[in-house]
Amino acid sequence: MTSTVDPISLPKRAASNDTEIDREALARLLIEIARNVDPDYRARLDGIPTADPRMETLRQLLVGREISELSRVTHLLDEPEQLAAAVGGVLSSAAARASHAQLGEALAPVVERAVQRSIQKSPRTLTDILYPVFLPAIRKSIGEKIDQTFQSLNETLRHIFTWHGLKWRFEAWRTGASFSEVVLRHSLVYRVEHVFLIHRNSGLLIKHVTAENATSEDPQLISSMLSAIQDFVKDSFNEKEQSGLDTIRFGELRLWSEVGPFATLVAVIRGNPPEELHEIIRDVLLRIHDECSQALEQFDGDSSQLAGVETQLQTCVDLKQEESNQGFPWLVLAAVLLVLIPAGGWFFLSWQSGQRWQAYVSRLGIQPGIIVAEQKVHDGQFYITGLRDPLAADPQSLLAGTQVDPARVHSHWQFYQSLDPEFVLKRLAASLVPPDSVRLSIVNDRIVAEGEAPDTWIDRARAAAQQLSAGGPEFDISRVRDVSPEARAAERWQTYVSRLEAQPGIIVAEQKVRDGQFYIAGLRDPLAADPQSLLAGTQVDPARVHSHWQFYQSFEPEFVLKRLTASLTPPKSVRLSIVDDRIVAEGEAPDTWIDRARAAARQLSAGGPEFDISKVRDVSPEARAAEHWQTYVSRLEAQAGIIVAQQTARGGHFYISGLRDPQAADPQVLLSGTGVDPARVHSQWQFYQSLHPKFVVKRLMASLTPPDSVRLSIIKDRIVAQGEAPAAWIDRARVAAQQLSADGLSLELSELRELTPPELTHLREAIQAVNIFFDSGKAVPGPEQLPVLDKLANQLKELATDARKAGVTAQFMLTGHSDETGRETAKLSISAARAETVRALLKKRGVDPELLLVRGAGTFEPAETENSRTGSSANRRVSVTVNFH
Amino acid sequence: MQKKICMLGGFAVGKTSLVRRFVQSIFSETYLTTVGVKIDKKSVAFPDKTVDLILWDLAGEDDIGSFRVSYVRGASGLVLVVDGTRAATLAVALTLRERAEAEFGAMPFVLLFNKSDLADRWAISDSEIDELRQLGWQIYLTSALSGEHVDDAFRQLASMVSK
Repeated sequence: MTSTVDPISLPKRAASNDTEIDREALARLLIEIARNVDPDYRARLDGIPTADPRMETLRQLLVGREISELSRVTHLLDEPEQLAAAVGGVLSSAAARASHAQLGEALAPVVERAVQRSIQKSPRTLTDILYPVFLPAIRKSIGEKIDQTFQSLNETLRHIFTWHGLKWRFEAWRTGASFSEVVLRHSLVYRVEHVFLIHRNSGLLIKHVTAENATSEDPQLISSMLSAIQDFVKDSFNEKEQSGLDTIRFGELRLWSEVGPFATLVAVIRGNPPEELHEIIRDVLLRIHDECSQALEQFDGDSSQLAGVETQLQTCVDLKQEESNQGFPWLVLAAVLLVLIPAGGWFFLSWQSGQRWQAYVSRLGIQPGIIVAEQKVHDGQFYITGLRDPLAADPQSLLAGTQVDPARVHSHWQFYQSLDPEFVLKRLAASLVPPDSVRLSIVNDRIVAEGEAPDTWIDRARAAAQQLSAGGPEFDISRVRDVSPEARAAERWQTYVSRLEAQPGIIVAEQKVRDGQFYIAGLRDPLAADPQSLLAGTQVDPARVHSHWQFYQSFEPEFVLKRLTASLTPPKSVRLSIVDDRIVAEGEAPDTWIDRARAAARQLSAGGPEFDISKVRDVSPEARAAEHWQTYVSRLEAQAGIIVAQQTARGGHFYISGLRDPQAADPQVLLSGTGVDPARVHSQWQFYQSLHPKFVVKRLMASLTPPDSVRLSIIKDRIVAQGEAPAAWIDRARVAAQQLSADGLSLELSELRELTPPELTHLREAIQAVNIFFDSGKAVPGPEQLPVLDKLANQLKELATDARKAGVTAQFMLTGHSDETGRETAKLSISAARAETVRALLKKRGVDPELLLVRGAGTFEPAETENSRTGSSANRRVSVTVNFH
Repeated sequence: MQKKICMLGGFAVGKTSLVRRFVQSIFSETYLTTVGVKIDKKSVAFPDKTVDLILWDLAGEDDIGSFRVSYVRGASGLVLVVDGTRAATLAVALTLRERAEAEFGAMPFVLLFNKSDLADRWAISDSEIDELRQLGWQIYLTSALSGEHVDDAFRQLASMVSK
């Protein structure tokens, strides 16, 4: 064998890591072996010595340490106790380092078995161990399940009959899921997307927090708009201040708001939130108010002070419930409900019908004449037995209105006679048929008959009373009066007789009843009540009454008084009355009457009542005269146009003063027939003009002397002139009307038609312009007036002739006037005297006196107002007015 | 910082036009007729701060009786708008302000005489406006058409309410 490799260097090269090998010794050993190598040795290979100590050495050299180590390990493995100790030392760290999956896989069966064994051996141990772990978990889980169930049950019920419900049913059928599952999936899925904290007063946004991926428009604007809408709703529907708008819903989106004292929290929720969410939102709002109430209250648009609320709001935004397919035994629940609902319904119905039955039974129990002996309910049927009076209410008819099904009621009633007074009374009423005049009633459990009845009925009633069974109520007929028709008639007769006897002026001497006829005899005063008329109302048949009355004069004061009144005819000032059976006359009467009364009193004296006339005063002549005077005064006062200012009676003389219209009735004339002596009357009258339309008309008639074709009448305080009149007259009337209007009176001329022969007008106007003047206090005109009179006379004559030619008659009224000097009566008389003088002077000048009329106007128609001396002379005159007829 | 501002004025004085062009808005004008109010925002930047005016544009009514004064609750200021071509709208705006202040106390305001572009139909005399200025009132002649003085008015009000 040849080799280029140095065999010695090979082992010496430290290529491997077995540093523990003694390389020196190994090299030497190899060299020695090599020296001994005989080339032929290979040929004698079969003679290999069985044992070579060198090999052992070589082995020692090569693997001596491994051998000893191996023997130690082998020893370790062979000894179980040492092995357990060694493995135990590393087991925990080995398990920790092991692959979890593999370890779990490897351990699972072992652990399972171990647990199984443990439970088989003693289940209690494991229960004890797990108890603290499981109990809260179970409790929590059950609680949540129940909550969820009821929430979703609410939702389920809410949706069961809606369009959603139908849609979801279809979805359940399509997906194979139960309906309840679908309802749950749809109804309790929600997410809070935004939370706004809004300042309540200003609507400004305090904070806005939004969920991931949720977007919205400018939150500041939204929050203001939300509070505007709150205001809008509040204003529009008059909502109370404190309650906010708490829900707005728009499709899938809901706005829930909670109102706090200073801020409103609005949550925008997508989906179907559970009611509890309100509670959560409310809690958050409460916490915010607790923590930052001052900052909220003072909020002025700067929310930097309120940064802390964001975390609170964030808790709201985190709230959500995602869609889940989590199963729940809805079918079981539905099945349970399916059983429970009909069962509950059945229980309720049977309970209700039981209640109704009991109500019916107790109603029967309180009915008089019905005794319930036994009642029971069996298999929905009702059984009742008992006693009933035939007169009691019909149990069958009582059933009506109780809502108890009559078909299910089985009654068994036995008749009996109730001794209840009410029933006894009914039976008596049915058997006795009492007449209308008898009333049966129950008094203290006794039956009492009252009224009137014929004796036959009373007999039957008495028999019935005796037959009434012992123990029943007593029947008392003692208060029924026997009224057979005869007895009744007799009774009525007696009533009439006693009525007669009570009458003053009637004396009943005798009366009797025989064969249904009534006889009466006695005395009656002619002034007493008529016995026949007293019969009315007594029900006594007048045809059966035979009366015999003799007249007499009753001395009863009442009748005497009547007779005296009739015979004496006392004056109104005397009053007759009855005082203690005496007839007393009081008052005043003329002596003639007193004499007559005295005579009558004397005639009365025998047996009759006394007639006392001592209290009648003799009316003296003076008193009578005064009375007459008063009659006269009141007659004057009643006169229109007369005003009595003052009147007195003194020393047998009468004084009266006042105003009178010249047109009013003459007071002197009125005196006649009053019994007042004119010689003892002293009157002082001042003239005045009454504004009473009647007087105004009289004055107008006198001053205007309207032609016959004119009629003055009074229509509602207005004076109306109607008819035809010459123009000049109408002019004068118009002037008069103006004067009257100053006094507030109206004279209407609109209905007058003008009637004047035109050719006469001119001359008439010339005449009417003429005045004859007089000196003061004179009734004869001065000589300077004579030419005026001459001219006037000619004019009058000419006009009279012309008028006659024209077919009318001219008439001339001469009116005398006076001024304001002198006494009132003198003024009137001098004015009349002046007119008379002028008439005489005109007559002397050939004017037809038939055409000349005269009147005195006194001062009442002045030509001008008197405020100066000249005015006075102008008013002393005679004027002429022309009338055509 | 935000402030609630109410725009008050009679019927058709141009409140809505004033805000339409110069503010941020997300709500349509139909809110005015439905809810009676429309919310807009006008941000006014100052060197040291930004004031967000939350503008409550109340439906203009000539019938002052139907004015919903409750919408003014919590407002920091008012924008009174008068139609310069209708003298009667000045009285309406002042009455609305009186009612608002009677309910919620005095508050800063600016008075805008709007439609200043319609010079030929102008119905308010200069002396009248001067008189009101004498009272220390902040008065602007504005035009929603040209935008004249609108920003000035909002800026003035923003500085008044944010003091």
